Parts: sequence; structure tokens; C-alpha cells
Amino acid sequence: MTAPSRLLLSNLPKGHELATDRIDLTSARIAAYLAATGDTNVAYADRDIAPPLAVAALALGALLEQIELPAASLHTSQEVEARAGVPLDATLALRGRIAQRSERAAMVISVLEFEVTPEGATEPTITGRTTVMMPGASRS
Amino acid sequence: MSAPAVAPVIKQLSQEQIARYADASGDHNPIHVDEAFARATPLGGTIAHGMLVLAFISEMMTSAFGAAWLSSGRLRVRFRAPARPGDTITASAQTQTERDDTLTYAVECRNQEDEVLISGTAEVSRG
Repeated sequence: MTAPSRLLLSNLPKGHELATDRIDLTSARIAAYLAATGDTNVAYADRDIAPPLAVAALALGALLEQIELPAASLHTSQEVEARAGVPLDATLALRGRIAQRSERAAMVISVLEFEVTPEGATEPTITGRTTVMMPGASRS
Repeated sequence: MSAPAVAPVIKQLSQEQIARYADASGDHNPIHVDEAFARATPLGGTIAHGMLVLAFISEMMTSAFGAAWLSSGRLRVRFRAPARPGDTITASAQTQTERDDTLTYAVECRNQEDEVLISGTAEVSRG
């Protein structure tokens, strides 16, 4: 969590756009996710559709490669919306931005919005809003 | 047709599961996976990823609604308290509102001490 090239989330202003990233939603990655969560529903394999929370988790994991969370950060709320099923083995474009940033006392509250769009699609299929509360920091 | 009842999901968390989730999601924050680091924080030990515990709610909704959840589900939750290795987590849902096109449930996760860890809403389009 200390890679110097990453941006410190608490320093990013409202409106900051993170670099567009790519997620390869392989069946193996989804299988690893389902094994980790202990989810044995057959609906995913029956329809070749990924769990929306898996897509959101992989999106957040990818965004964490760009941003660093200060120590003692708290993930305080989460929204995830599926607008369509995300097919297994799709390649997804991931976009993220800082939708809100506020300061209270010594804490910073940032809302990170993200959306994933399968290659060839024109609209996002999964969107999310992640709220993180963290100590204020000035280093970049 | 009235909103269907949603069966709860009950899971026991382990540090091994949290580590597997870190690998699967790419979130290796030391508060989840580094026991020595976590012991030195005010939390006093490792905690599960909020998204791991939230996955139990999504699993519950998938069991109840199948493809409709996968293509139209919406979660809005607050993380109210951390889940720890050894906790037994119960995810549950109660019907909140029924509209022509959408069902809304109040959802939550509680631990074995009945402490609310996650609360919020889950919406799904009627099939």
C-alpha cells in the first residue's frame, strides 16, 4: 500500500478522473472470487454471467493500483448497480472519478464513482459509488 | 404477486477466507491480511473486507432472484461495524416496498452478537 507512484486518495480533488483501466473478467478470476466468498449459486455458470459484486470488487481492486489509501481509512458505504448482466470472459473498460470530497475536523470523506463497460458495449453495465473516510493528509 | 421472501445466508468467517478474498479481489490492505500490523491498530486485529461481507447479501439475493439480480440488482449500504475472523455472519432481507416494476428490501448483516455490521437496501426489477 506504499507504492510511490500511486495517488493518495485524500489528496485527490472532486472531479479528478482516474486513468481508464482494463479488466479481463476471466472465468478463472470469477471462480477464485466465488471460492473466496463461498458462493455456490449455479446462476452464474448457468447463464455465463458474473456476480455484480465480483465485478465491483475487481474494479475497486484495479483502482487501488492507482490510488493509495491513507492508514486508518474506513470504507463507510457502498452502492453497486447492475444495469445488465456482465458476461464471463469479457474485457471491461473501467473508469473512475472522485465524485465528492469534503473535510470534517481532521478527516477527509471522498466518494469514488466507477463504471465498467464491456468491450463493444456503449453503456456501462455495472456502476458503483464507494465512500471512504480517512485522515487528512497533505503529501502527494 | 407479492414480493417473495428471501432466505437468509449464514457464513462463518476465517482469516484464510479473508486472505483468499484479498487475492481474488486484489485488495491486500494490511488491515485485512497482516495480523501483526492489524494488532497494532485501534481495531486490535484483522477485519474482513466490507465487500466480502457485502458479497453475502448479493449471494442471498442471487439465490432468491437469479438472473434478475445479476442484471438489475442494486445495493446501497453502510458499513457500520467491522467483521472479524471467527465471526458468524447472518445476511437477511425484509420486504420494504413493492412497486409495479421494482422490489425493495431492507438488508443487513449481523454477527453472532446481533451487532449490525452492514445495513441498507437492495432493489431488484420484477422479472
